[in-house]
Amino acid sequence: MQSRALRPVLATYTALFLLFLYGPMIVLAILSFQGPEGGPQFPIQEWSVYWYKHLLGFAGTSRVSQLPVGDSLLRSIALAFMTTVVSTVLGVMSAEAFRTRFKGSGPAFYLIILGMMVPGVLVGLGMALLSNTLGLSRAWWSTSFVLHVVYTYPFAFLVMLAIFNRFDRSVEEASLSLGVSPAQTFRRVTFPIIFPGVLSAMLFSFTLSYDEFARTLFTAGRALTLPLAIYGTFSVEIHPNIFAFGVLTTLFSFTLLVVYGLLMKRFTARAARFHGQEES
Amino acid sequence: MTALSTETPSRPAAAASPAALRARKDRNRALALLSPGLIWMALFMVLPMCMVVYVSFWTQTTFSVEPSLTTASWQRFLGSSTYLAAIGTTLRIWAIVLVATVAIGYPVALFIGLFVRNKTVQTALLVACVIPFWTSFLIRVIAWRPMLGTEGAINMILMKLGIISHPLEFLLFSEFSVLVGMTQIYCVFMVGPITFMLGRIEPSVIEAARDLGASFGTIFRRIILPLSLPGVMVGAIFVSVMVLGEFATAASLSGRKVNLLGNIIVSQVGSLKWAFAAVAGVVLTVIITAVIALALRLVDLRKEM
Repeated sequence: MQSRALRPVLATYTALFLLFLYGPMIVLAILSFQGPEGGPQFPIQEWSVYWYKHLLGFAGTSRVSQLPVGDSLLRSIALAFMTTVVSTVLGVMSAEAFRTRFKGSGPAFYLIILGMMVPGVLVGLGMALLSNTLGLSRAWWSTSFVLHVVYTYPFAFLVMLAIFNRFDRSVEEASLSLGVSPAQTFRRVTFPIIFPGVLSAMLFSFTLSYDEFARTLFTAGRALTLPLAIYGTFSVEIHPNIFAFGVLTTLFSFTLLVVYGLLMKRFTARAARFHGQEES
Repeated sequence: MTALSTETPSRPAAAASPAALRARKDRNRALALLSPGLIWMALFMVLPMCMVVYVSFWTQTTFSVEPSLTTASWQRFLGSSTYLAAIGTTLRIWAIVLVATVAIGYPVALFIGLFVRNKTVQTALLVACVIPFWTSFLIRVIAWRPMLGTEGAINMILMKLGIISHPLEFLLFSEFSVLVGMTQIYCVFMVGPITFMLGRIEPSVIEAARDLGASFGTIFRRIILPLSLPGVMVGAIFVSVMVLGEFATAASLSGRKVNLLGNIIVSQVGSLKWAFAAVAGVVLTVIITAVIALALRLVDLRKEM
């Protein structure tokens, strides 16, 4: 009976919680439409898209220097792409290995999981020290890249582990016992079943790497990635162009999410059609 | 002896049952599949971490470090009240944020996981919690500035409502803003695992308790809370490792008033004091290891996932 009274209270609380989560972003989005003379605070002088133009370099001369996003954006996307490929492959391989019981699987599991636990600033420092000692120069495509994989591979691994746990092994065995080669079996039987998981692992890896900052800070060398370029502007005064940038990157992430959703839907629809054929 | 030892390896192989042979083949295959990942982790995670420990004992000159071993950096760290204070600040911020994320997150998880029985609504609410993650972390941190500043949204609203006549200064560039920012960013890592555990509770168990006349308080204390504790622990591990290794939130929201161990590492690296940064790194590692070890004693991560 008390729980009936509790329900609306908890519902209101959850609504307030969502406001807490979204509030700053909403304020940031509103302020991104600040006029050219306005600062990064209220009141709004006049509504305009000036800071979006400024961000994209269409605003002409301005008292505020342009955010260095162009090259760094490309670097971040390239880095995220490299990380996605490697960590997904490693994740699938390791999760496949964990389907058989073997000695030392416990320590191996924790060694992999450690990658997502170790603070970025620590491995970043270690990597910087290591490359200094070995006399290697640091760059986003070498020292940062390996650390990004250290971070995203455990996520890909856990996603794939969850998929393999729900996966009926006998389907594969049936294929193998019918004389289909292991490679063919993986391509025609295993892969289609685990594909949604692979897609999720890729999504995880891409977004984590794209946004990763602590691991890149000490290891990227001179050429900056996108989060580093944003961080660089923190130490000086902030202007509404950062807010406009925040809105645009959020839209970019949503586009990525929608693409993922569409791919997933298309795939599950095809799988459902397949099932239908089998049953008829 | 030698004859015996050359003979033994071949005999079990020949005499082994097909099942044993297959098991061995599977095991070898598993190790082959696993080794690239493990080698990657050993080279690019374990080795750099060992390097941090090693370099913390190197000699620091003005702009570089030399590999002659000394404890000078350690003595300087442990003898300085500023750096010891940073340990205190790190632990204090960690404890407050941890308690805040549980306190704020648990009711939300309770609502989503237990009170919403419609799967679609449940998923929609969880997605709503996760969506902010699709914005850059740094942007989410900086978004608190126009919210909390003296000319920010909260002060503006409070002044319009006539609750205050002067803007509240303590909101931004203080420990308060760091705590608020971290709680908002990491709260979801608490909500997620708890919701997951609560969603696994059989509704019939709660119904049975209710039929037997248990009040909601009793049901919560005796059934819901114990079954959700593993979720709280998993969430606590996530939040702890992230908060302890933090520096960006403090750097951009505290106005240099809050110095965490992470901030010390960043500033020391900035002035090329590598050995000193390494000492701070080792201290941080010890703290995090202690926290994780404690948490893992209380919950088996592998079983819960």
